[in-house]
Amino acid sequence: MSGGELHLLVTIGGCRAALPGAAVQAVVEIDRIVPVPLAPPHVAGLASLRSRALTVIDTRAALGLAPAGDADERGGDGRAAVVRLGAHDYALLVDRVEDVAPAESDPLVLDTTLGPAWDRVARGCIETAQGPAVLLDAAALIEGETGQSRSGLQGEVNPSTIGRTAKPTGD
Amino acid sequence: MDDLLAEFVAEAREMLAAVESELVAWEADPGDRTRLDAIFRFVHTIKGNCGFFDFPRLEALSHAAESALAAVRAGTREADKPLVDTVLAVIDRIADLIETVAAGEPLPQEDDRPLIAALAAEGDGPAGGFAPESASALQRRAAPMAAAPRSIRLPVDLLDRLMSGVSDMVLARNDLARRLRDAGNQPAVDGAFARLSAILDDVREGVSRMRMQRIENLYHALPRVVRDLAGELGKQVVLDLQDGDVELDREMIEVLRDPLTHLIRNAVDHGIEPPDERARRGKPEAGLLSLSARQAGNRILLVVRDDGRGLDVERIAAKAVAGGLVTPEGLAAMAPAEQLGLIFEPGLSTAERISEVSGRGVGMDVVRANLEKVGGTIRVESEAGEGTVFVLELPLTLSMVAALTVTCGEDRYAIPRSYIEEIARGSSAAIALEELGQARFVRFRDRRIPAIGLDEVLAGKSTREAGTRVFVIVRLAKGDRFALIVDSVLDSEDLVVKPLAPAIMNTGIYAGSTLLDDGLPLLILDIPRIAARHGLIGSLTTVRQQAQEPAPRHARGDDRAILFTDAAGRRRAIRMAAVARIETLERGALQREGGHWHAALDGAILPLAGLGADGAEDAAEDGALTVLRLRDGTAELLLAARAVEDSATIEGPVAPLPGEDLLEGTAMVGGELTALVDCHALFARHAAGAPGLAGAGLRTCRLADDDEWAATFLRPLLESAGYAVVGPEWTGPVDLAVVSEGADRAGRAAARVLHVRAAPLAAHPGDGSIYRYDRTALLAALRAGQGGAA
Repeated sequence: MSGGELHLLVTIGGCRAALPGAAVQAVVEIDRIVPVPLAPPHVAGLASLRSRALTVIDTRAALGLAPAGDADERGGDGRAAVVRLGAHDYALLVDRVEDVAPAESDPLVLDTTLGPAWDRVARGCIETAQGPAVLLDAAALIEGETGQSRSGLQGEVNPSTIGRTAKPTGD
Repeated sequence: MDDLLAEFVAEAREMLAAVESELVAWEADPGDRTRLDAIFRFVHTIKGNCGFFDFPRLEALSHAAESALAAVRAGTREADKPLVDTVLAVIDRIADLIETVAAGEPLPQEDDRPLIAALAAEGDGPAGGFAPESASALQRRAAPMAAAPRSIRLPVDLLDRLMSGVSDMVLARNDLARRLRDAGNQPAVDGAFARLSAILDDVREGVSRMRMQRIENLYHALPRVVRDLAGELGKQVVLDLQDGDVELDREMIEVLRDPLTHLIRNAVDHGIEPPDERARRGKPEAGLLSLSARQAGNRILLVVRDDGRGLDVERIAAKAVAGGLVTPEGLAAMAPAEQLGLIFEPGLSTAERISEVSGRGVGMDVVRANLEKVGGTIRVESEAGEGTVFVLELPLTLSMVAALTVTCGEDRYAIPRSYIEEIARGSSAAIALEELGQARFVRFRDRRIPAIGLDEVLAGKSTREAGTRVFVIVRLAKGDRFALIVDSVLDSEDLVVKPLAPAIMNTGIYAGSTLLDDGLPLLILDIPRIAARHGLIGSLTTVRQQAQEPAPRHARGDDRAILFTDAAGRRRAIRMAAVARIETLERGALQREGGHWHAALDGAILPLAGLGADGAEDAAEDGALTVLRLRDGTAELLLAARAVEDSATIEGPVAPLPGEDLLEGTAMVGGELTALVDCHALFARHAAGAPGLAGAGLRTCRLADDDEWAATFLRPLLESAGYAVVGPEWTGPVDLAVVSEGADRAGRAAARVLHVRAAPLAAHPGDGSIYRYDRTALLAALRAGQGGAA
């Protein structure tokens, strides 16, 4: 289906992932993020792109990983993919933007789990020249965990919940 | 040619919209020359513009209307109802034809002659005829053409693009400005840059206003709607349209159009009664339907009010139950206001008859849905026989908002300026921060208002030190005030509000965002929601008014209280209105003499109530004593408290505690049954001066503890006769004791004893007792006591 289509390859939490190129409006460098107190943890804050306001989504936090506020920890890249959902623009802050590459396969539906955090945002998996990559659902990333539990509104992401609900994956 | 045609259609539509309200106003007052002129101008312009195109029907219609109106203007014809109706019909037909033209279809061949004949029918022949009166009309052409402002239509997304382009230019300009500054003084460039910059500011302002429209645009069609509908239903309705100059995002105007029309039609159809019914109820025969608008910060409030029969809550409730919208049990649990809200539920229509106008069962639910789609709300209030009020509240996103930028920690936030009443520095002597339980208040200009730190709102932590901070006093729509404590105030500027992503809106404290000139986003605070979230609504705003009046014994409506623990460790509440301040006294400032406590405070010696004989030792644990400083407008007294807990609302009625004469009664306060201190009794006993009531010329009267009749029935009479009523626990001497039959314990240490009996006839004639309902004799006896004391 999307074989041959361009994808933006990124790294989140050390794992290679892909966003459909058609959904990505731009790749920008986010230099200053204005924090939004009381926002869910995966909302890193607001940034501006020319005259537009971007809601910056920390994809690590959206995956339940420890939010990496520190650019060094992310790999010093500071780059984000700009996507539009509803009437709002979002910047998906990733560890690193790798490349734009065509998918070498149609999305593969995984019959095994990637772990609950990844399962929630993964559309499947694609093969690329660099190897396999998780195909991301931008909307699910933006929704963050609050889509599943309202209590996450003010609470912190608790990494232990991820381990607790993870099913052992029999290969 | 196509462009010309489009412009003709656009202009005709605008003029149609404008002329509709004129028509109705003219009909109401046919002598109104200005209205007549405006309508004449319209048909005249249509006629003139038709000349460029081949539209014989339009030309004939507008010409006939022009002729009839010209006769009215010349005074040879009267603007009677048939004429007005016919002119309206002609204008309607013109509107139809223009829409056909706009759609690019050929004009249908219909016969306009009956209409034209009807125009000519009334009045005398020549004036109503078809004789061209172009001489006078031509003379007036110049003025009317210039009067109508020219306008063009643009797609909204083009405006958006333009706006975002201009915003980008501003950011680039600011960037350039910084670079120029860094590069040092360059007179050759600086002058040109300053000019460019000023022009850009102008352009930016103009572009920002392009999306805004006056709410008048929404009003234009309404007079006609009301007029037609009222005529059809045989009702009389006066439509009062206010605040037409409030500006609203043009998209919001479109969103509002249908809901508003529906509400108006509903009000005329169901709300306002027929003239005879109104007359029977003693109302003016013509119903009043008013529409007002207000911008409140980042919200627009639209109020539709009629003085009709009001909503029938019971019928709404019955229909809701019958329609299965709510169970009878669910209904019983609902407050009347909630039951009224059922009219917004899908499938509920209370119309007794399905009229053509409304009541098809699609209505209020659609209205609500449409408003909610854009983030608005609607609520209804109604009183049977008095009328109904619908309040529509809409967000103002995408509009400009004047705001104050403030800092909290490292970050900046904006507060819409419309909420801001005053700004005060924490270092000012005029402002004082007080703590009451966990709540904080500022005392400012004789008012005590709740205060909250912005850091507390945002991060849940509060900084106690206030000296360097700034108090932004905000005022909400209902008049409630609170103080938002910020670190500093930066600037005041006009901001373009941009909507926030849902995840951020869900926090409930932001109304939108904006981009500042330096390109950084800025969050705009949602003041009403912050207030609601932190319980700052409806609290202490009555302090000032109430504090200047004598402490009211039964102050209905003053339902706020301060919860405290009294010196004996009991939970007590006292009406907020009586409390002027909370003070801390050093143990050394207290003095006890003759059973009465006094305290030195601010150079005055004030009576101190609420302490037992050795109560001060208990209450003043660490050498200091907390006291409530009460004021009745003239006198002051102090009430000892072990701790001040909180402020709370007195919920429900106060149940009297007979015999407890320092307690007004018991009531639910802050969710617990709490005894309420009787301020009147306190002042009566303590404030009249030392060392006791007798010395101050006040007379005391003791009632027996088990004498409920005296406590409830006789007490008002005693008090009105100038006695301070004390309970049996008052062991000191009293001027009068009231002793009912068989009880004599109250009689001890009393200068006089008043014996009352329950039976009209005395058991032992001549025993000096008075029948308890012999008012004259009782009053005489009380007055006698007065004489005796003097």
